[in-house]
Amino acid sequence: METRAVAVIRDFKSGKNRVPPDGAMPRRLAAIVAGDISGYSRLMQLDEEGTHNRVKRIERDLIEPTITEHHGRLVKTTGDGFIAIFDSPVEAVRCSIVIQQNLVGRNASLPRDYWIEYRIGVNLGDVIIEADDIYGDGVNIASRLEGIADPGQVYISGGIYEQIKHKLVCGYESLGDRKVKNITDPVRVYRVLPDPAAFHRSRRRRENILLFLLSIALIVIAGGSLWYMLLQSRGKVGNQASAPVSSPAPQPSSAPSAAPTTKQAAQQPQPEPRATPATPLASVVREPEMKTIRAGIFSMGSNDDVTEKPTHQVTIKPFAMSLYPISVRDWNECAAAKACSFVAIGKDDAPITNVSWSDAKQFAAWLAGVARKAYRLPSEAEWEYAARGGTQTKYWWGDQFQSGMANCKNCNDIAGAEQPMKVGSFKPNPFGLYDMGGSVDQWVEDCWHKNYQGAPTDGSAWVEGECGSHVIRSGSWKNDARYVRPSNRDSYDTNVRYPTHGFRVALSP
Amino acid sequence: MKITRLIALSVVLTFLPFAACAQGKPAPKDALLYFVWPQDGATIKGGFWCRFGLRNMGVTHAGDNFQNSGHHHLLIDANEPIDPNEPVPQDKSHLHFGAGQTEARIELPPGKHTLQLVLGDAAHYPFGPPVVSEKITVRIK
Repeated sequence: METRAVAVIRDFKSGKNRVPPDGAMPRRLAAIVAGDISGYSRLMQLDEEGTHNRVKRIERDLIEPTITEHHGRLVKTTGDGFIAIFDSPVEAVRCSIVIQQNLVGRNASLPRDYWIEYRIGVNLGDVIIEADDIYGDGVNIASRLEGIADPGQVYISGGIYEQIKHKLVCGYESLGDRKVKNITDPVRVYRVLPDPAAFHRSRRRRENILLFLLSIALIVIAGGSLWYMLLQSRGKVGNQASAPVSSPAPQPSSAPSAAPTTKQAAQQPQPEPRATPATPLASVVREPEMKTIRAGIFSMGSNDDVTEKPTHQVTIKPFAMSLYPISVRDWNECAAAKACSFVAIGKDDAPITNVSWSDAKQFAAWLAGVARKAYRLPSEAEWEYAARGGTQTKYWWGDQFQSGMANCKNCNDIAGAEQPMKVGSFKPNPFGLYDMGGSVDQWVEDCWHKNYQGAPTDGSAWVEGECGSHVIRSGSWKNDARYVRPSNRDSYDTNVRYPTHGFRVALSP
Repeated sequence: MKITRLIALSVVLTFLPFAACAQGKPAPKDALLYFVWPQDGATIKGGFWCRFGLRNMGVTHAGDNFQNSGHHHLLIDANEPIDPNEPVPQDKSHLHFGAGQTEARIELPPGKHTLQLVLGDAAHYPFGPPVVSEKITVRIK
């Protein structure tokens, strides 16, 4: 009875949470702030009584009033830390920043060894509230965040960040997903930088690193092209000097060498969706070679694999398909226009690889924009129709596999290569298309469905359903002959890049 | 003389970036990859949810280069040994979970099948030494 009375008084004081009816567990969503003093035992060893008094004073003069000021509630203090809950994530983070900044002032006059520095973690979570403690996953995550924070820092979880990013003017530095002790899922962690200027400082540091890498890349380019030019001029002296000076020669080599830095930049967690480039160079763009495919009806699928069943009739309207998979040269034009997110390395006439479905879509959107034509990814049905080239056999050349027909693993007399061969290295199929099978896996527009149950029959892309993964076709130079079959299909996560994945584009008339 | 030296310098500079991206990212010694479900020797009727367990490392999206984290690959009836110098293959017996999935719905034809997990880094390469689970055998009724 007495404890209940105490609880009532506490809650009355904090002004919220009336005592719930017996039996009901009082739960609520709250922003949880967990703080503790870094190096507390060291400080206690140094000066037990002094430290204790200073900590108590900080709690009394700074922490408690600041929490109240920000409409929060101090749940408990432990020897070296505290836990508080807030209704508002903005207030919770503000309060944490105020505490940290005040401590800087308090420490300023003391020698380094005597500094009392708090580490603070803030998390948004559902908590169970009891009279003098709170419980729940959310509380544990808050204290784990505090555990990984540096002294004097405030670390917040992704949940908090989403709530405050546009409301609190301060810098946030993403630290990525962190695995924290005893919590199954990794937690997205951000570091709060109290003034935006600090954010710029940290970004400048990152920019400096990038600049440094870029300058290394430039030196490499310079070295490479110098080497190339020297070789070139030597060869020329041997032959004849009639040809014009080879100025375009070093140019292609510049794109590949710049890639490592650019790629790193692309991995920074700021996606830059740029759909329509406003470049006035529209007429200059080199469009991929396209082949018109006539309309027709064909039987899609096969009985060779569960994913290819049931075979069904599909009607295809006329369209055009790129003659080859999109090449590194094609791709890098998009990258140069800043419409594709990375510059590809590799030979100009090699197929582009390591692209996700979203990357491929970006390319198609850019091409459609600059060429003012309806470029897009082919539908899965269009792809298979084009790959079959009017045949219904297992491969487009017959039911038996033949060596030297496609760029796949153990398919040719040449030993398996590290890279796919350049586009168009093998015979075209009856429709005149190259590399429809082998070479690189090719993204199509369709979402992945585990079989053709319910598939459209009008040749359109099947985009209903869960779209976490999309269809890839063709198999790659790393897959064996079974994957070369025109009916073969597989899936891959939409936003993930893989070194054998490329694509080709289609065009509606 | 000068030219040969310049050429040598160019060669070194040209190959520098390749040396910089050596594979086989180190993994913590106590990293443990295992099947939460199914257990070795289990008999299962029809499709099942395969659940992946990982201790002392984190699961992240492929392409994210955070330390001590990777993404799952499920090897079904794969016989070739794992090549640490190559990305984990992508085909019907090497399923990728680059979006950071920790479980998957698996449907297999009746009979005995082996399952094994391999953790891959941002570029799908195994860690060095590889973080792999035990190879388990399940029977589908």
